[in-house]
Formats: sequence, C-alpha cells, structure tokens
Amino acid sequence: MLKKQLTPYLLVSPYLLHLAVFVAFPVVFSIVLTFHKWNIISPMEYVGLTNYVRLFKDATFLKSLINTCIFLAIHIPLQIIVALFLAEVLNQKIKFRGFFRAAFFLPVIVSGVVVTILWQQLFGYDSGMFNRLLVTIGLDKIGWLTDPNVAMTSIALMATWKNVGLYIVLFLVGLQTVPAHYYEAAELEGATHTQKFFKITLPMINPTIFMVVILSTIGGFSLFIEPYIMTGGGPLNSTISAVLYIYKQGFFYYHMGYSATLGFFFAMIILLVVMIQKRFVEKDK
Amino acid sequence: MKRSYYYKNIILLIILAVILIALNSCGNKNERKGDSLIYWSSNNTQEIEFANYITEGWNKNNPQQKVTFQPVPEGQSSEEIILAAVVGNTTPDIYSNMWQGDVEAYAESGVLVALDTLAGFLDFISTRCDSSVITEITSEDGHIYQIPWKINPIMLMYNVNSLKDIGVNKVPSNYGEFFSSSAKYQKDTDGDGYIDRWFGYSEVLVTWWQRFFDFYPLYLAASNGANLVKNNKAVFNNEYAVQVFKFLREMYEKKYFPMERLSARQDPFLTEVISTRFTGPWEIIHAEKYKPKGLEYSFAPMPVPNNHVGPVYTYGDPKNIVIFNTCPNPQSAWEFIKYMIEEKKDLKLLEMTMQLPRRKHIEINPIFQEFFKSNPKMKIFAEQGNYVRGTDTAPVLKEVFDLISQEYEACVIYGIKTPEEAVAAAAEAVDLLFIDKAK
Amino acid sequence: MKKVIFYLLLITGALIFIYPFVWMISASLAPENEISNLTLFPSTFTIDSYKLMIDKIPIGQSLINSLIVSSSVTLGVLIFGSMVGYALSRMEFRGRDLIFYIIIFTMTLPFQITLIPQYIIIVQFGWVDSFLALIVPYLMNALSIIMFRQYFKSIPQDLIDAARIDGCGELRIIFRILWPNSVPALITIGIITFMASWNEVLWPLIVIRDESLMTMPQLVTLFAVGGRAESQLGVKLAAAVMLALPIIIAYLFFQKYFIQSMASSGIKE
Repeated sequence: MLKKQLTPYLLVSPYLLHLAVFVAFPVVFSIVLTFHKWNIISPMEYVGLTNYVRLFKDATFLKSLINTCIFLAIHIPLQIIVALFLAEVLNQKIKFRGFFRAAFFLPVIVSGVVVTILWQQLFGYDSGMFNRLLVTIGLDKIGWLTDPNVAMTSIALMATWKNVGLYIVLFLVGLQTVPAHYYEAAELEGATHTQKFFKITLPMINPTIFMVVILSTIGGFSLFIEPYIMTGGGPLNSTISAVLYIYKQGFFYYHMGYSATLGFFFAMIILLVVMIQKRFVEKDK
Repeated sequence: MKRSYYYKNIILLIILAVILIALNSCGNKNERKGDSLIYWSSNNTQEIEFANYITEGWNKNNPQQKVTFQPVPEGQSSEEIILAAVVGNTTPDIYSNMWQGDVEAYAESGVLVALDTLAGFLDFISTRCDSSVITEITSEDGHIYQIPWKINPIMLMYNVNSLKDIGVNKVPSNYGEFFSSSAKYQKDTDGDGYIDRWFGYSEVLVTWWQRFFDFYPLYLAASNGANLVKNNKAVFNNEYAVQVFKFLREMYEKKYFPMERLSARQDPFLTEVISTRFTGPWEIIHAEKYKPKGLEYSFAPMPVPNNHVGPVYTYGDPKNIVIFNTCPNPQSAWEFIKYMIEEKKDLKLLEMTMQLPRRKHIEINPIFQEFFKSNPKMKIFAEQGNYVRGTDTAPVLKEVFDLISQEYEACVIYGIKTPEEAVAAAAEAVDLLFIDKAK
Repeated sequence: MKKVIFYLLLITGALIFIYPFVWMISASLAPENEISNLTLFPSTFTIDSYKLMIDKIPIGQSLINSLIVSSSVTLGVLIFGSMVGYALSRMEFRGRDLIFYIIIFTMTLPFQITLIPQYIIIVQFGWVDSFLALIVPYLMNALSIIMFRQYFKSIPQDLIDAARIDGCGELRIIFRILWPNSVPALITIGIITFMASWNEVLWPLIVIRDESLMTMPQLVTLFAVGGRAESQLGVKLAAAVMLALPIIIAYLFFQKYFIQSMASSGIKE
C-alpha cells in the first residue's frame, strides 16, 4: 500500500531533482550573480550595484536591444504576410500539395548554421548571387552585409526564408478549421475571393495569427547564431543582437557577473513583452 | 516476477552509471608519465620540432627529472584551450606560447607561479632583458609571472623595385612621404573605372586582434612606446592616437588602401597588387617560397607622424613562458626553461622557426652573427627588437582592443566620426570597463 | 491557362526554397575559382573542398559526437518525460497540480536568464569539455512532459487496470503498455527533441572547448567564423553540406512526421 502511495513521487523525483539543479538554482543564482564580479578563474567578488550602473550606461547594450526590436519589426509582419499568402494558396484544391508543403518546410529543419553560411555567400558584395542578379538587370549592387542600414534587414529576410515553412503549416491547420459552409454562403451572395479572405478567413484565424506572433517574438528574442556567423555583430554594431552581446560579455570577455546582469534584465523584458501580447490575445477573446 | 523485475532495473541502472562515467572521461586529459614535468608547446610545426629537440636534449642530461612535451590541444584558439584547462584544473606545468596580454588575468587569479621567488631567476632575467622590458613584464602586485621568450615585430614590408619604378628613392618613413608615394603608385590598370593597385593594405576587419597589425604598431611608433592603459585608466586619448586614426582614415578615403578583402585572392604583395604591407618575420618564409622571379623586398620601421623624433617603436607580439601552480616542482621547471632559452638554444630557435628570441642586444651578440650574415632580413628585425613593446598590464586587454576596434570602424572605415571623437569615445568606453576598480 | 500560370508561380515559389540548397551542394563540388560563377553545373566536379575540409577539421568525429549527444538526450527525454507524464495524467497524489503548474511556468522562462549559472554549475561539477555537460541539462524537458500527459490521458483506463491486475509494476506499465500504444506521441516528441538537440549551437559553444568533443554544428560554426578556412568558400560550403545532409536525408524519408511533429508542438505552445 505504501509503495503505491510512494510510486508517483518516485516517478517525478528525477524530474524534480533535475528542475532544482538546472532551473531553480540557476534562476536564484543568476540574481545573486548580478551583484558580483567574476571571471571564472578568480573567486567571485561582491560589487553591489556596479553591474546595474554599468548596464544603464552601456550604449552597446541599448543598441543590441534596438537591433533586436528592428529585427522583430521587420521579420514578424513579413513572416505573417508571406506565410498566410502561401498557406492560402496551398489550401486550394491543387495537385502535389504534399510536395509543395515539404519544399517550403525544408529550410525549417536544416540547422541555422547551414542557412547562415549559405546566405552569407548569397549576400556577398562582389560575387554573391543577389548582387549579380541586380547587376544583370542593370541595378546597383547593395551592401547587404556591409551597409549598416541594410544589414539587419538582410538577416530578417534570411530568418523569414528559414522559418516561413513552419508558419505556413500552422496557418494551414488554422485555415482548415474554418467551416466550409461559411465560404459557400458567401459565394451564394456573390463575394469575390478577396472579400472572402478579408471578411471570413482573417477573423476566423485570428487565434492562429496571435500564436504565430507570440512564437516569432520568442524566437526573435533568441537571435544569436545568425549574426554571430554572418557579421559578428557589425557593421557598426548594427546586427548585434541582445543574446549575442550577452554571450560576448560572458564568454569572450569573461565578465560573468555583468553578463548575468544583462541576461536577467533581458529575460525580464521578454517576459513583459510576452505577457502584454498574451493579454492582448485574451482581451480579444 | 517482481524480484526479477527489480533486478533488471538495478542492472539497467548500473549500465547507465557505467555509460555516464565513460562519457565523463572522454576527452583530452593530461597524462602525467610518472613524475615527469608536462610542457605544452604551440602546435606550429616548426615549434613542435624545436620542442622535441629541447626535451630530448634535456632528458639525456637530466634523467632524474624528465620532461614530456605535447603540442597544445586543438581548439578554436590556444587561448581558449588554456582557459578551459585552468577552469578544469588540467593545466600543464610549463607553457611556452602564452600571449603577454593574457598573463595579468591569470596572475591575478593565482594560477601562475611567481617566478621571482625561484632561485636564480632575477639574476638570469637581467642578463636576458633590459630594465624597460622587465618593467613591462612585472605584474601589478610587483611579482614577475612570465619569461619573455620570442617576439615577431611588426614592420613595414616593401617592394624594392616598385618603389624605384615610381621614382621613390628612399622607403617612406613618415605619413607625408607615405601619402605622396601612395599617390604615385595608385593605378587603374585595366581601365574599368575601379582602382586595382594600392600602395598598401590592412584588413578592414573589426576583430580586436586586427589592431595589432595597424593601429597598435602605428600608435607605438608615433608615441615612442606609450601605454594604452595605465593604473586602470585609458591613457591613449592623446595626439598620437588621433594622428594614427587620421593617417589611416586618409589612406582609405583617398583609396590608397583598398576597402575590399584582398585575402581571398592570391597574395597581393607577391602579385604586386600592393607595394607595402605591415607584417612580421613570418612573412619571410612565405615570400621566399612563393615569390616570383625578380621580386626584391625588404623591411623598414613603421611610418611615423611628420614631426616625430626619437627611435621608432613597434608592436612585438610577444610570446612568453609561464609555470602553472599545478606544477609539483617549480624549481626544476625553471631549470628546464633556463636550458631552453640560453644562447645556443636561442640560436637554434632562430634557425628552426625563424622567430626572434626576445634577448637584449641580440643584433651585436657574436653567437648570432653567422646567422644574421646569411639572413640579413632577420637582422633588421633583430635591430627593431630593441624598440619593441608588448602589451600593457591589464586583465581586460581583449576588451580594450575590441572597444578601440569599434571606434576604429566608425572613424577609419566608415568615416562617420572624426578621429578626435572616435578616440575620445573609445577612451570613455574603456574607462567604463574599469568602473569597479576605480572605487 | 490560369491554372498553368498558377502552377508555374507555385513551382517558382518552391524553387526559391529548394534551389539555394541545390546550389550549395553543387558549389561545394566545384573548383574553388568557379564558385563565384553560381552556375549549377561547374566545368568539372571535384571533391577537393571535401578533402581539404577533412584535413582541417575532425568532421567525422563531430558527426559521431552529435549522434551520441542527440540520441542520449532524445532517449532521456522520452523515458523521463513519459514517467512524469504518466504520473501527472493517471495518478492521484498530493502536489500533482502544483507540479503541473510549475512545469508550465518553467516553459515561460527565457533561457537567457539561466545560461550563465548553468555554465557555472557545469564548471563546479567538473563537466567542462565532457559529454555530460551536453546531455544532462537537456535530459528532461517540460514540453515533452506536457505532451505525454496529454496523450496518456486518452489511453483507456482498462488497459492499465488489466496490467495492474497481472501484477505489473508502474515502470513496466509505462514501457510495456503505454509506449506501444503511444507511438505517434513517441515519434513526435522524439523528432522534435532530436532535431532541437542536433541543431543546438549556443550551449556547446559555451561548455565545449576541445575540438575532439565538439558537436557538428558547433564545429562548422567555428570553422566558418574562425580563420582556419582561410577565406576559401569551397571548404565552408562543404562543411555546411555535411552538416545539412543527415537531417535532409532523414527528412526525405520522414517528411510527414517532421511536419506533423513541429506543427503540433507549435500549437501546444
């Protein structure tokens, strides 16, 4: 009898232990660390609020936050428009739908590292494919990765290409929940395709759109490997994302305490943004 | 049935534990053979040969204290490997490829042996180094944790014949001469509207270590070896840094230096696309191997501002030897190092690796004369060796150079800040780095 | 006619997503000086870039490392996830709902906050430069628990009761009864976990410095960013192809499962 009572606890205890060591303790320790200075090889040193003072004077950190916002501002709308459009197309009665869906989805499963190396070549100033195409149709070359005003947009473009397949699939699922008789009723009243889309489809898939926004936001906040490989954060710090800067502070300069402070601050911002977004979704319901 | 079920579980757990332990011991760990000392050399082929030569010679004469050497394990960079070794407590006893800029951080954390506490060290070091070098390698706490081993001074490599071709009789030594020679050399040889011959070249990389090949040697030359940081403050916000920024900015603006990455093509110096280059003695081996017939080259000191007086300093990229505190017998380790860097072995180092020992007055030392006669270009570097600076004593040098690089990018490469603004901004950012020490 | 144009546009769209990969493979097989030409068929096919790459980096070793790490993580997640999922879905005990809410909460925690302390824990345990650092922190996963719990709720209670009457212990129930009846969940969670683990780069970059222990994406990243490739495009592309190949091959056979898995994980969020 006792064994039966103990069993559930036995089953969950490995997880709780894991949680305590790898989640709970780190969160607490992270806060403690923000008040210390540490470079891994020397003992930790208490420095009070110095890290926070430094954070608020740190122009580069601010830049990294702004860059992350710029990335989101370009990437999310682009993603939604393209994904929704392609999902709508795929939702029609077409042959080989499976093939097309698989093709769009291909970049999603491939590692971000591969996509970045690939697009680094495409974006090359002298011999990259895009600039060559531009030159053959008579336009000027663009400094995709060398122009500080364009670089982040280029990365957002690449990120959209990589992820849009996933969102096409999610939208497809959402589109298929719209009852067919709504469309039939509208057709009887002579509605055009566009009218059907904006009056019926869009409102019905609002929940899916919100979900896509929230997922893309969380994903966008973790932007790291793309700028790391592609530009190292340049030119002129226009592509350094928040996570890249936090990584640099911790594992390039070994300012562990300061890096933990940045990480903590950034995590709070993310939580705030996601909470606001979820509130927005709830209100709409 | 229940019994066997439990046993099965226990066996499963044991297998799991064994796998975990096996996984944990995967990876390079130090193998101490008996009580021999472990010496890590760099993994450069010639240096491995040299290390082999040294350890064999030592072990023959000192069987009671053997030394085993291995090249630094492969990784992203040897600095990372050393850091991982320090963190994981798997450091070797002796390491000879330590960049001078890394030493202070390790010294402060106590993982290095204070060499001045070892018998015979202080006497030896004053025969090898002059007083300015000794000051340079002394840490903030007054102890010495490193032995200068070798340097690779950065100098101006130039194409002798192409200078004559444009009517320049003496290699340019200051900024003014540099500009006028550059103007003469600049050409658009294939008429496509884009310049394809430039007087010189420096990578437009923002990476922190790229400054060792442009900004830093020029700054040391202009300022007679001044510090970048001292006593936890930035001290480079001065006319010298501004002049260097101005010089480089003008070179890029007037297209005397290319903005393109020439490194992806064939060697631009050997194909005479450029006529000069800021580089070190390692270039000699490469040039001798690949130079086309008739190409003559030589080396000269870095250019300086027009109003400069005094000797021309430069950056020496010093690599030093350290003893980690995991070493069971530091005194013996010191004897081994002494064996490795005495005069005849220094000569061997020169012969085998073409790298310059950091030894005072090496250019007039009789033991090396034969070598310099057959390698006159190395003599130029040896003479420069008297006016070489390493790095300042600060535990955050990488970040200092990174911050300078960011302002370098804004001013020199993109021209959106004036040299004065850029240097001031860099100094301000560096001061912010030391914010907690200032208390 | 309209249909033809429609399909042409659709094919163009599909090409936009496929062609770059095809180009990448072709460029990695081209001689170095032709790579910038961007034609699909170079004058000669050569594997020089691959030979150079194998010379410079231990790509084969990293493939094995990635396989070991990702398989171990996936196995662990499946085992422990189903254990906790089962307890939460089929058992009554005090604290059950509390644990469930805690699990949901951990899913909202951004990783940026735990990154540095987790590294410090690894250092304290002495796991730097060991597989343990790569595997153990990822052995258990909140999403998998939620998904298992969801799925197990739909398994008929009679099945479980019958097994109990036969005298089966709880663990046996999980592995002998639940697993065979949860193949879709196993596949879904397995694929998501394996892919996420395979593509993870930031964590290996932090805890592994020794080249012989690096995972494949980590090795290729450092190769692309560092100076070892010496600005030669061919080797970098070859490395990227090697990294992409295993997953693409798996994808060609199991597309349906990949797509379904990732879609359902998105919906669960």
